[in-house]
Amino acid sequence: MSVFIVETDKAGLQKFYEEIIGKFETYAPVEKFDKYDYKKVSNLSECNPDSPIETTMSLKPLFFPKTAKIMKFQEDSSGTTLSETDEDPLAGSRVILGVKHCDARGLQVLDQVYNWDYIDTDYQKRRINTVIVSTRCDKAGNQCFCTSLDYDVENSDAHDVRIVNGLDGKIYIQGVTEKGEKLIKSSSIQQPASDGAKDELSKHYKAFDASFRLKMNYTEVNAKLQKLFDSPEFETVSSNCISCNTCAFICPTCHCFKISDEKIKDTGVRYKSYDSCNNGYFTLMAGGHNPRPVKYRRWRQRSLHKFVYYKERFGMNLCVGCGHCAISCPVNISIFDVVNQVSKIMQ
Amino acid sequence: MCKVDKIIDETPDVRTYRLIMNDPARMETFKWMPGQFVEFSLLGHGECTFCISSSSTRPGYFDCSIKRAGVVTADIHSQLEEGMDVGIRGPYGNWFPTEEIKGKNLLFVGGGIGLAPLRSLIQYCIDNRKDYKDFTILYGARTSADMCYKEEIEEWKKNPSLKVILTIDKPEETWKENVGVVPKILEEVVKPAVENTKVITCGPPIMIKYTLVSLDKLGFAPKDVITTLEMKMQCGLGKCGRCNIGSTYVCKDGPVFTYEQLKSLPDEF
Ligand SMILES: Cc1cc2nc3c(=O)[nH]c(=O)nc-3n(C[C@H](O)[C@H](O)[C@H](O)COP(=O)(O)OP(=O)(O)OC[C@H]3O[C@@H](n4cnc5c(N)ncnc54)[C@H](O)[C@@H]3O)c2cc1C
Ligand code: SF4
Ligand code: SF4
Ligand code: FES
Repeated sequence: MSVFIVETDKAGLQKFYEEIIGKFETYAPVEKFDKYDYKKVSNLSECNPDSPIETTMSLKPLFFPKTAKIMKFQEDSSGTTLSETDEDPLAGSRVILGVKHCDARGLQVLDQVYNWDYIDTDYQKRRINTVIVSTRCDKAGNQCFCTSLDYDVENSDAHDVRIVNGLDGKIYIQGVTEKGEKLIKSSSIQQPASDGAKDELSKHYKAFDASFRLKMNYTEVNAKLQKLFDSPEFETVSSNCISCNTCAFICPTCHCFKISDEKIKDTGVRYKSYDSCNNGYFTLMAGGHNPRPVKYRRWRQRSLHKFVYYKERFGMNLCVGCGHCAISCPVNISIFDVVNQVSKIMQ
Repeated sequence: MCKVDKIIDETPDVRTYRLIMNDPARMETFKWMPGQFVEFSLLGHGECTFCISSSSTRPGYFDCSIKRAGVVTADIHSQLEEGMDVGIRGPYGNWFPTEEIKGKNLLFVGGGIGLAPLRSLIQYCIDNRKDYKDFTILYGARTSADMCYKEEIEEWKKNPSLKVILTIDKPEETWKENVGVVPKILEEVVKPAVENTKVITCGPPIMIKYTLVSLDKLGFAPKDVITTLEMKMQCGLGKCGRCNIGSTYVCKDGPVFTYEQLKSLPDEF
């Protein structure tokens, strides 16, 4: 990891952002009705990269679109011809500002499934061509629990550039990856950080870590859940769920999709779009057999996939503790509560 | 893309589609192992998972035997004709352990459309007959009309190095073979020797369930019983998250599993 750090003040940071927006295709959190979402911006006044409020939707759609055309086809008397869609999986480079580190971690987690065996080249292209600038939160949100999980939030390398609002009033801009270091070096903010910078960063982290309402013992929860497949608690915790799938769509790491065709006369398109294991028909097979016909089995899959299976398969927890799902769930189900409540029944 | 070369009516609801790739060079290099599957597209209607029911020891074409089961398969049956194009991705998944079963007695237990993946392996083993010892095929269907590959089964019966046992669920006037469900015939008629034998089975879930019980009773070790699983699939590439059982991706780690492996998975299939 690079330890390249520069320091600046509020005005300098604004300038840093403005220069980026001027030079690159840039995305940043944009407010609408008190909520934030990543949008393409051409001016700093349109967005708020330092918003303390997390975006409603995660970064995911910028890498894995909600609906993507993956193929076109055309029929005529000689047969069927396939062709690529005109959708551009991002040719040039872009920068995303105002990312929360949990969201950036989400991409690191997604990389595991996209890059094993068959490689999703569209996703990979978007990853390679994107520079992620994250701002470390000063204070945890009500539903956040990122510091309780299996990754080192303080030294996270999921983003390329990290911005920290030091308790000393200075703003530190750290290049975490080579890409990030390059971005900083191409800007006019060049004041190398003073010797005390590292201490300031860890002081800031300590204060941040102390602000969490939610904490859990991940190792214990993970170990217990491995043995709790048959727990009756899954029924209790999922009983309010209305299977609306919101939690999966906005989650930074949920990645289930479905493939469907649409055809008008001789021309058609194949789509890949978000799906969710909370759907009753997600595993419904022709002939009527469904391994997960009832809600608690689907919630069990959701919880265990996130906290056990993915970890076992790819070495990372499939939940980054961002709390997006708990904030948006219409019936206030929180995955934090679910896994805690289920694992609590075991001594 | 592939052309449908020939359509064979197997039963009232199963048809075999013989496919040839439009690009002869690709057909030449298209190799698969018994048990592997393809993603089969009737474009504009959708994509489905089917195993390849023929063996690559018989090159130049491959077969998919398709049962009318839902939306896309119904469209395939009603709209796909000889000479038309279909999209094929694959082959995907693992395959029957053709090496590991060398030198063993083989017992195939199939039910209904479940004979499709077994047929690929049976053809493969017939074409490499010297590698395998005694060869028994037990195949059951609800009625005689529901039996797939009737002509091929007749050929198997004529082959002195194969033992073929057929059964249907209920008696029929002209039926001269066994009557009774597969597990019962397995225990009462086939009475297979356990020594040096591998069992390969595929069929409807209920048949598999009771066949596994019978095999257990007969003394077969779970590691000697091989089956192929059916889970809902879409991508076949370990991405879409549909086919998981625990941390296992059926599309990548399967669909072929031993009974021993199945026992270690969460009970969710
Ligand atoms: C490894 C494997 C091998 C198979 N081999 C054969 C075979 O040789 N012959 C045969 O007739 N059938 C086979 N099947 C089952 C076959 O895939 C389904 O019957 C078929 O997908 C049903 O599609 P549908 O559109 O008619 O059904 P619908 O219920 O309308 O399904 C809609 C979509 O869901 C998916 N789907 C539904 N049921 C299944 C299922 N059981 N398995 C996988 N995906 C499903 C498909 O993508 C399908 O397009 C196999 C399944 C698997 C997993
Ligand atoms: S958002 Fe809430 S109600 Fe909707 S599927 Fe998720 S848990 Fe269920
Ligand atoms: S499950 Fe909820 S808390 Fe965990 S990563 Fe997804 S949206 Fe965030
Ligand atoms: S079929 Fe998509 S992950 Fe297995």
